[in-house]
Amino acid sequence: MIFSVYIINKAGGLIYQKDFNEGLAKLTSNEYLVLAGTFHSVHAITSKISPVRNVTSTGLEVLEADTFKLCCYQTLTGTKFLIIADPNHPNIDNVLHRAYDIYSDYVMKNPFYAPEMPIRSELFDLNLAKLIKSVGG
Amino acid sequence: MIDENISSTSPPPSISHLMSHHSTTSQLTNTSMLSDSRLVNIDEEAKLVYGVVFSLRNFVRKLSGSQDGFISYRTSQYKLHYYETPTGLKFIINTDPNVESLRPALRQIYVNFYVEYVVKNPLSPVEHPGGDGVNNEYFRAAVDKFIKSLAVFDS
Repeated sequence: MIFSVYIINKAGGLIYQKDFNEGLAKLTSNEYLVLAGTFHSVHAITSKISPVRNVTSTGLEVLEADTFKLCCYQTLTGTKFLIIADPNHPNIDNVLHRAYDIYSDYVMKNPFYAPEMPIRSELFDLNLAKLIKSVGG
Repeated sequence: MIDENISSTSPPPSISHLMSHHSTTSQLTNTSMLSDSRLVNIDEEAKLVYGVVFSLRNFVRKLSGSQDGFISYRTSQYKLHYYETPTGLKFIINTDPNVESLRPALRQIYVNFYVEYVVKNPLSPVEHPGGDGVNNEYFRAAVDKFIKSLAVFDS
């Protein structure tokens, strides 16, 4: 079960957030922005505190908690896709990549979209919802 | 492969950190074959680790509403396991990314070694304001032995 999807731009701003299933606490939009900012900083620090020297580590990829797991995919341009799902949900990496495909098609290829700004696109919403549903929402 | 960290002063890589609520890293131990060229020095790293686990713990609390939800995170190179005692002590161990949860092991370190050798030691300070940490030979040796005895240690 996938609880929610977040997209964070390269500056740490939350540009998309949508809940697909109940299960997590309901927060205000301001709190979501704060969480996204926090995650962005933590992600940057986690790659710095790697105990493995001479090899650069990526930032946080999977966060495990008792009621959910959070998977993060950072694109080459620095945009981060986050999916929060229940701890046993399989193959979230694949869903993240497909979400990125949808983002590329329906957000980035839209000439009216201003980069790094919040995403308001009906087609993106629609296709993302379809994707989430197809993987067992 | 596991890296465990048990030297409060020596520079080599970091692993199991033990923290009190005031961000003092009481004990940093290292039993590892990792190289010495660290990105940040050990004191700086301790602060960063504290900041990261503190933020993530609050992050998880906010989202799930449970008090003790944060278990671990992993990156491409390592995995950080987290255990917090009811009194707010935080136990952390870093391993390679494929190790399963070591929370039970951290709890064991707390129950069997920290409580036994540190809490029950009347000479041990309650807080660690100067950051000198748990400077206890028994604790250090016991944790060292325990970590080395874990099945994941050199697998």
